[in-house]
Amino acid sequence: MISLPVVLATAALLFAVGVYGALSQTNAIMVIMGIELMLGAAMLNAVGFMRYAWPDAASGAFFVLVVMTLMAVEATVGFALVIAAFRNRRTAELDDLTELRG
Amino acid sequence: MSDLATALVFWPSAAIMLVTGLYVFRTRSMARAGLLLLASLGIEGLVFLSLASEFLGVLQLLMMSGEMVIMVFFMVMFMADPGGLMGMDMTHDKRRSAAVAAGVAAALGAVAVATDWPGTVVTGAAPDIEQIGFEVMGRSMLSFLFAGMTILFAMVGGILLAKHGGRLGIPAPAGEPRDEEGAP
Repeated sequence: MISLPVVLATAALLFAVGVYGALSQTNAIMVIMGIELMLGAAMLNAVGFMRYAWPDAASGAFFVLVVMTLMAVEATVGFALVIAAFRNRRTAELDDLTELRG
Repeated sequence: MSDLATALVFWPSAAIMLVTGLYVFRTRSMARAGLLLLASLGIEGLVFLSLASEFLGVLQLLMMSGEMVIMVFFMVMFMADPGGLMGMDMTHDKRRSAAVAAGVAAALGAVAVATDWPGTVVTGAAPDIEQIGFEVMGRSMLSFLFAGMTILFAMVGGILLAKHGGRLGIPAPAGEPRDEEGAP
């Protein structure tokens, strides 16, 4: 039987996979992938709440649309930053981009 | 969709979504990593379908197909070893990252299971596409327009940031990195 805690626990696992990817990868594109998975977990949470807590409210779908927008914006800005960094430093490896380290 | 049908779609889809998501960061081939991410987020659309959100499921599949194909192009362009044939390791702090991820999963999982969520008897009916349309074009229209404008600003800002010469407007000669002051 599927219930709200089951959906939320599944989303928690997906979020944790995204956290692992964002922390363990050295390439900026792979870090963006980890963040995409975390946002995917947020969408799954919203769909779970919409289905099991407030099934009559259509506004839950709007939250999912906003997170999808956020995913697209995050990828757009992230790719632009990667291109800018690559033009200047010839690398997208985060370990090499240390100008702001102080 | 009946409870049995929901379970039959949800469990395999959720399992494949999690496994493909994990293998994104386990494979050495970057093109394969992009396709695995497409599989993970695309199958998440199937999970949405099993939770009676047909519109969002189809939308998720369409959005992620486009986005991840573009991401594969970027990975092939910018990764040092896009094919994974040289056996390069492009990870760091794997153990600590795994420990943090396990802690996050345990904490969020505990909250998900231990919290007394509002219980609602699900009858099988869910907001249909017409209701979602009225929501988006009615009460939430201002927020929806704001989301559209945000995408537009992100596109314009992204192009400005990524254009040749960068934000400084000084084109760097091909093959030569800029010095510390940003001059070519």
